[in-house]
Amino acid sequence: MSAMRVGIIGTGTMGGVHAAAWQAIGAELAGFSSSNPAQTEAFAQRYQTRAFVSYPELLNRVDIVDVCTPTAFHKPMVLAAAKAGKHVICEKPIALTVEDAQAMIDACRGVRFFVGLVLRFFPQYRSAKELVTAGRIGKPAVLRLKRVSYVPQKTPEDWYFKDEVSGGMVIDLMIHDFDYVRWLAGEVERVYALKTSPAAGLEQYVQAILRMRNGAIALIEGGWANPPGVFRTALDLSGTDGLIEWSSDQPSPLLTLVPPKPGETAAVGLPISGLMDDPYTAELRHAYQCIQSGAPFEISAEDALEALRISLAVKKSLESGKSVKVG
Amino acid sequence: MRIGILSIAHLHAEGYQANLKSIPGVDLVGFSHEDSEESRSFAEKFKLPWFATHQELLAQGLEGVVICAENARHCELVELAAAARCQILCEKPIETSLAKAETMKTACEKNGVRFMTTFPMRFATPTQALRATIREDKLGKVFGVNGINHSENPSGHRAWFANQALAGGGAAMDHIVHLADLLRWCFATEIVEVYAEIDNLFRPGELDVDTAGLLLVRLANGVQASIDCSWSRPSWYPRWGHLKMEVIGERGAAVMDSFAQHLTVYSKTGSRNPDWVGFGPDPNQPMIQEFVDSIREQREPSVTWNDGYQALRVVLAAYESAQRKEPVKLDH
Repeated sequence: MSAMRVGIIGTGTMGGVHAAAWQAIGAELAGFSSSNPAQTEAFAQRYQTRAFVSYPELLNRVDIVDVCTPTAFHKPMVLAAAKAGKHVICEKPIALTVEDAQAMIDACRGVRFFVGLVLRFFPQYRSAKELVTAGRIGKPAVLRLKRVSYVPQKTPEDWYFKDEVSGGMVIDLMIHDFDYVRWLAGEVERVYALKTSPAAGLEQYVQAILRMRNGAIALIEGGWANPPGVFRTALDLSGTDGLIEWSSDQPSPLLTLVPPKPGETAAVGLPISGLMDDPYTAELRHAYQCIQSGAPFEISAEDALEALRISLAVKKSLESGKSVKVG
Repeated sequence: MRIGILSIAHLHAEGYQANLKSIPGVDLVGFSHEDSEESRSFAEKFKLPWFATHQELLAQGLEGVVICAENARHCELVELAAAARCQILCEKPIETSLAKAETMKTACEKNGVRFMTTFPMRFATPTQALRATIREDKLGKVFGVNGINHSENPSGHRAWFANQALAGGGAAMDHIVHLADLLRWCFATEIVEVYAEIDNLFRPGELDVDTAGLLLVRLANGVQASIDCSWSRPSWYPRWGHLKMEVIGERGAAVMDSFAQHLTVYSKTGSRNPDWVGFGPDPNQPMIQEFVDSIREQREPSVTWNDGYQALRVVLAAYESAQRKEPVKLDH
């Protein structure tokens, strides 16, 4: 089968990560488009491909559109791609509101639409899910997920810090574990969450308790709270018959104890160090192969919508101080 | 100094008897316990005199007692010990209701005896180092704490832990108090709000108490914290469980695993495989030492009745929140 042409809209952190993955997969990386011409040009040079001057121009030259823009722009990009009859791969979170997400799903009825909930492609999370499905812990009871990173090393004006553009840390970061818990234990009944931030500064720390419809309970911990460069993740899945534990603290094959030099900290934490297989490549390879073969995706766009619904319920609990029913 | 152990219902009696014996000048007179089979095996294993009733042991002229009874029998034994003018070290949780806890306080005051709650984690070197880190302001403004006190289901060793009438509850009654106390102690403040999801998720239909619980609490100083009190470790976990606190603040994070100092042992024999065998200091020893010192020096022990009482209030608020499905406020 001949390689399909992929165009990436958006030249931020994920645009670069995805570009490297597409080249590893063997897709034809047709080029980039973004609102920043200089950055588009730089990405085009780095990945030896084209810089499109506009999104419509990109749409004319590709089979698949890979949406890596800030979250608030997902909807117009996806709608335009679907209208042009292009398959769409969209970074998570799918959108910032349930209505927008539903409109995107509806618009993509005639094309393939994949949302990149990449955590499901991390080998330890995937393996843990397989063990849970195989009944190795019995009935899931208390599920603990950690995802505490540092404040994105960006200027305070950056889109990450604008709630109306990124949805904030709860939607941007914690959505991974909301989706994962739902993958493990099904739908969520209610949520309750607490958040603490300093009087000044962009740090924040959130803990959410989820009660699942099947009775299981989950603690999801998320934050932009660690010192720059420190990103800790963990899972602890206990059930009636057993337990699965993993933590990013566990000794890695190579322990580096050199403190980072100023400016050496990656702008946005990605929990991929020490892994054999890059989960982003695994994720995009899956989507690419399904588009080529016509097979269904492992993750539906509705899954992405439900993960958003949980995130929004957590935000609502933070605002109201009350437990919030989901759905 | 003559000390006795009132009841060996709680497994910790095994450790405490060794702690007491190792302190110079302490004469461990014996233990009292109703169950003759358990008593004979304990007496034989630890070479200790057994008294079939608590009154007989209390008639031996004791200066202090360690109460290791079932949670809901603490009040009864505290009243007996106080009437015998014995200084008291009482297992946690101090009782199963606020009314009974208050009765204990009155009995102690009326008889002029002091009351210490067993919170051994205050005497563990990792928690002390964590507290110093917080109090020296090394983390800056603290955002929150992720507290974990997991264990296996203790009713596998002693059935009363899963008996509502004797234990007053399950995992929540058993475990919340440790982290509630450590939060109060580390931050020198009170817990003012509690939300909890509590259920019997691990042994439904088999036990009549809760086995799983997650709490989110607020401290008066604005810090938020989670407490996982679940009996979520299977009996084939490499250790009974663990106590962990992760504190995250403006300037950094502190990650404490108080029993991290362990060997991993793979053995053909033994109930656990692998088995995490600890090599860190035993926190019970300095706790028992503090009890003995407080008697010698005729002073309040460093852990008081109020510490046990405030921790119990958090437990009861957690049960109330789990019922109401909303956060419950605690007045101070």
